Amino acid sequence: MRIHVYERLWLVASMILIVAFIATVTYGTVGLGITMVDDREETLSPGDIDEDERFEDPRIEQVGENEFEAYVVAMTFLFQPDPIEVPANSEVTFYVTSRDVIHSFTVVGTNTNTMVIPGEVSVMTVEFDEPGEYGIICNEYCGVGHHDMEAELIVVEEDEFDLTELSVDAPDTVEPDAEIELTATVSNGLIDDLEATVTVEIGDETFQEDVTVGGDESEDVSITVDADDLGEGDHDWTVTVDDYEETGTVSVASDTDENDDGSENGEDTTDENDASSTVEDRLS
Amino acid sequence: MAKSQVTRKITHDEFDPVGTLALIVLYFIVLMLMWVFTYFVEFVGNDPTPFVVA
Ligand SMILES: [Cu+2]
Repeated sequence: MRIHVYERLWLVASMILIVAFIATVTYGTVGLGITMVDDREETLSPGDIDEDERFEDPRIEQVGENEFEAYVVAMTFLFQPDPIEVPANSEVTFYVTSRDVIHSFTVVGTNTNTMVIPGEVSVMTVEFDEPGEYGIICNEYCGVGHHDMEAELIVVEEDEFDLTELSVDAPDTVEPDAEIELTATVSNGLIDDLEATVTVEIGDETFQEDVTVGGDESEDVSITVDADDLGEGDHDWTVTVDDYEETGTVSVASDTDENDDGSENGEDTTDENDASSTVEDRLS
Repeated sequence: MAKSQVTRKITHDEFDPVGTLALIVLYFIVLMLMWVFTYFVEFVGNDPTPFVVA
């Protein structure tokens, strides 16, 4: 069989094309390390999500220097956590699972995109070099609210990122002759130490304390104020740590309800038993 | 009716459709460029892309 020279040329060219296609995909996998989402992660029944230590509290965790893990739960029609905050210049592994039907976890405009199948955990490791904001959407039709199913992914500056949490324990009501003890708990989810200043404002008084919270630890800062110094009435307090703020109100009141009528009532409040019964009354 | 009286016989290799060849070469180049665009610009360029963790 004689093949025309042009036809031979075309045959060779199409062979080269096929080899080039395969070569680029191979280069992507071997050279660039691009991978596909697969089923290598153990299955997880949707009913067990709340018992799974990764997903019971959807969150971001630091697992190494510049390495983070994000545990994300998708459900009709939202993602948890939302927004997802990660630092720039980091390597983030997303673990995504679904509570109900098939969803997707699609970081818009990127290849960070996976189906989220109930019973399966999709795992993707990606790198974020620059700060920025991305939208996350679901691209698998999942019900009437599908078009509203979205979340935000915020890549913040590396040195602005923290995993700090602040909680404050303070009494609601105290007797005028008692002390107000306010405890601020600062926890640090990062591996590196957190240096922060805890500022407590109560009434007209301001307290400041510098704390160093170790990696994955928490510190308590307690301050004590004599209720007498504040006087009767409601007093707002504010606890500030970096960008975090907690506020509340403590009432200094005697056990009699008519303490607004006169300052004399303050004298009646020395009885401990009455004081505790007042607190119980208020709680019930 | 207007059938030409003149017929010219050419051999297999003398058949030389240059226009067709030019068209196919052009098509081939477009195909290559589209592949480069699809893979290297649209796909690899849309990072972050999931990668293999060593
Ligand atoms: Cu969905």
